[in-house]
Amino acid sequence: MNSTVSAAASTLEPLFVALSYGLDTLTRAFYAVPGSAVVARYVKSSHQNDPGRTVLELVLFLFAVATLLQGRRRTDSSAKHFIKFSDKEIDELVEDWRPEPLMEPLQPEEEVELAKIPVISGPTGVRPTLVTGQQVVNLASFNFVGLVGNEHIKTRSVETLRKYGLGSCGPPGFYGTIDVHVDLERDISSFLGTESTIIYSQAFATGSSVIPAFCKKGDVIVADAGVGFGIRKGIQNSRSTVRYYRHNDMQHLEEVLHSMDRERRKKRAPLTRRFIITEAIFDHDGTIADLPRIVELKKKYKHRLILDETTSFGSLGKHGRGLTEHHGVPVTDVDILYGSLAHGLSAAGGFCSGSNVMVEHQRINSSSVVFSAAMPPLLAVCGSEGINILRNDASIIPRLQTNVRAARTVLEKTQGIEIPSDYQSPVIHICLRPRSGAATLAPPEQQSYFFAEKQPAATLHYAREERVLQQIVDDALRGGVLITRAHRLKGQENPEPRPSIRLAITAAMSVKETEDAVRVVREAIDRVLTAEAQA
Amino acid sequence: MSPPNIKLPDTLHSINPQIMRRGRSASIVKVEEVGENANEELDQTASLNSEWVNYKGAWLIHPVLMLMGKVFIDTVPGVNQELSWTIVNLCYLTFSYIMFHYVTGIPFGTEINGVYDDLTMWEQIDSGAQYTPAKKWLFCMPIGLFLLSTHFTRYDPILFGINFTALVVLGVLPKLPQLHRQRIRLMPEEDFSSAPTPIGPPTPKAYD
Repeated sequence: MNSTVSAAASTLEPLFVALSYGLDTLTRAFYAVPGSAVVARYVKSSHQNDPGRTVLELVLFLFAVATLLQGRRRTDSSAKHFIKFSDKEIDELVEDWRPEPLMEPLQPEEEVELAKIPVISGPTGVRPTLVTGQQVVNLASFNFVGLVGNEHIKTRSVETLRKYGLGSCGPPGFYGTIDVHVDLERDISSFLGTESTIIYSQAFATGSSVIPAFCKKGDVIVADAGVGFGIRKGIQNSRSTVRYYRHNDMQHLEEVLHSMDRERRKKRAPLTRRFIITEAIFDHDGTIADLPRIVELKKKYKHRLILDETTSFGSLGKHGRGLTEHHGVPVTDVDILYGSLAHGLSAAGGFCSGSNVMVEHQRINSSSVVFSAAMPPLLAVCGSEGINILRNDASIIPRLQTNVRAARTVLEKTQGIEIPSDYQSPVIHICLRPRSGAATLAPPEQQSYFFAEKQPAATLHYAREERVLQQIVDDALRGGVLITRAHRLKGQENPEPRPSIRLAITAAMSVKETEDAVRVVREAIDRVLTAEAQA
Repeated sequence: MSPPNIKLPDTLHSINPQIMRRGRSASIVKVEEVGENANEELDQTASLNSEWVNYKGAWLIHPVLMLMGKVFIDTVPGVNQELSWTIVNLCYLTFSYIMFHYVTGIPFGTEINGVYDDLTMWEQIDSGAQYTPAKKWLFCMPIGLFLLSTHFTRYDPILFGINFTALVVLGVLPKLPQLHRQRIRLMPEEDFSSAPTPIGPPTPKAYD
């Protein structure tokens, strides 16, 4: 027994000797370092005869040192999506890469569609001539006031062209503003009765520029579910929180406003700017918004109203001032009113009108005003002249309304179609009535007013509807009337609007001409739908 | 040559329309991650609120404030060393916790309000990178204060326990990289009524 212990001890003895020697050297080296006595005294007095406490503090100290020695990591956004490929994988990926063509070759139906686009020879107007030589009645272009081809405006434009040249050579803030722009702004303000106006050089870009100028991240937008592409892009750019309410459903608007208010109060979130966005005449189905009710709700829930008057400026109201005149609502109730000069007045560009403060803010904060070129001066003069004509001639809009009524009366008795447009809207959308048993849309309860994923069943039905509508358009063209389907960016609007034929009534035609033209359309519809039903 | 079989992550977050109802979740404690979509990431990299933590003055202010606080509390009669260090320790931990880990978003409004609404200051520093110099300094400050305080005082176990727990819960745990963007909720309510803001239709791809 003793011998084994002593034997073990003797083998381990050199190890012990080495250890104690090493410890000795370390201690001597430690005390050789200047200031080590201070550290030793510090640690000894911290120890305070409590080993548990010292252990905890030591752990803490070592943890801090370990943290200090760690290298800097990447930010988590780039780390999360960063894939470390091996060299071999990189080589394989590079070998396999085939560049995609810039333009895919056209599908057969796209080629057909492209071939069917009518080409007008010469200037457009109420009765343009196509390159095939056929003269047609134009119910496709927006021409509400009937100013396309107006001789007086043409003369004034040519004068302006000779005086100023063609372009304005810059953004409005950087040498691009000419006196005719200022005149146009003043004309629009005095026409509408607002304090001031700012003009935009492109009508479609107005909405997507005005909305991000005022709505920022953290703000709240309550928008109609039927708003068009420009507004949706504007809302997307603004990064605000958005809730959609069912199209033109004032009851639902109130519910959404109420629930947003309650949510904010519950979360005790700070008060941010809140907006209601709606169009006056909706571009995708021609319905008119209920402005008095919206103004009432906006005052109750303290939201600001952004009204898009793209299709209603120059077509609604006694003098063409838009939805505010149409409903008798004071224009100061609309906080941000913007519209287009291209649809109603056949000039170009858009405008945004309202209080001084609101307009001045846009001169530096609206992307389109800051970065896009200003309108050519001759088009600004067209706009001013158009407004003059509207102001002086009080018979234009009543004429337009008579034409609209006549067109609606003719279309009323047509079988197999639905017209969602309002009775007073100069934009008339004709949709196909869904075949009995086959629904083209999910029932309203299932339609999510948050962004739903694409509805594949609906797209299939839409393809069929588009085909039938195109046949109607072709048939009407053979009858001498130029109409068009409403063209949309497929896959970009959510939810997809129903396919429709869009008629744009104009005041330039007489009642009889409008009736005749729409009668041709009706006969085309009847013929095509009967053929479809028999097929 | 067949394409290599490499799985790419899906970076587009899909949005599920959620049913509106309320209810209590089954768990007592729930750890939620504060996620982000692509738009918010773009906004945040475009504008930084937390640049000031990298200035040397912001580093120096911590020991200066600690010293001033200690001196001030020492002037109050009847306060012994243990109590004074405990007060300094707890006050420092509380204020730094409120400032860096409790308040979310940008408290003093600028034009970028709303971009950082869900993130605490700690998560905003250096765009979420870990172990940066500023974070290391701020990490060592409370630990250094604690070690200093244990050196100069004779803590009884209770005071030691209070100080140590406060240090760990308020000073160390929130700063750990493992808890980055995690929120601990006690007795959480399942809240489905606020659906996420729709991003919008995806940018057009080639025909699929």
